[in-house]
Amino acid sequence: MEISTRTSNDIHIVAIAGSLDSTTSPEAQKAIDAVLAGGRKVVLDFSALDYISSAGLRVLLGAAKQLRASGGTLRIFGLNQSVREVFEISGFSAILAVYPSEAEALGAM
Amino acid sequence: MRLEFRMSVSAHPGEVEKVNVVFARFAETYALPDGVRRSVNVALDELLANELQHGLAGRDDSSVTVEVALDDERVLVTIPDDGPPFDPFGFAAPDTTLSVEDRPIGGLGIHLVRELMDEVSYEHRDGQNVVVLVKYLVAG
Repeated sequence: MEISTRTSNDIHIVAIAGSLDSTTSPEAQKAIDAVLAGGRKVVLDFSALDYISSAGLRVLLGAAKQLRASGGTLRIFGLNQSVREVFEISGFSAILAVYPSEAEALGAM
Repeated sequence: MRLEFRMSVSAHPGEVEKVNVVFARFAETYALPDGVRRSVNVALDELLANELQHGLAGRDDSSVTVEVALDDERVLVTIPDDGPPFDPFGFAAPDTTLSVEDRPIGGLGIHLVRELMDEVSYEHRDGQNVVVLVKYLVAG
């Protein structure tokens, strides 16, 4: 997994590439915690994410809960077919804001 | 059906990565469709992480074995372990309709395995737990 963060205006964009699973989720958790400490508008770029398991979903749910409680926003874009399938099976596509593209995710934020 | 690889890893959470590396090489060698490869990757992560964190926790001498076999139609994954009898599929599916606020963190892993695989089974035989997963190469 590779993770990189950048800021556009006051929006924090976190790109996660490779796999988000039991091996990589602790590192992803740290990176997202660091972003959450300083920002309330977070966009996750999954366009290079290969697959996600429940360990990764746990990180997303934790971030979503935290942002929901602090009045922040979490948006996600760039899901491949497999990640989308996991989101649908788990019900995450109904509780997280998923967008087809970066432009749409960043729009009106 | 031909056995492609069999490997054992010790009972530590970081060991799942070793299986991922070998499975990735296998998937590349046989040009598995991405969807099949990713679904099996998720299933392996769920079952092995679960096993290494809970089933065999505290037993330093334990190991988990993964066997992967392939034929023209399907990938077959067998995971035997010598921990206490435990059926990972013996639980009801979690409620996936709850809101962000009400959703418990966790409990989804086995549900994903059940849904992503075409067949799953568990049996306890000869003092071992044996989990078998089947994924067809062509959806249907």
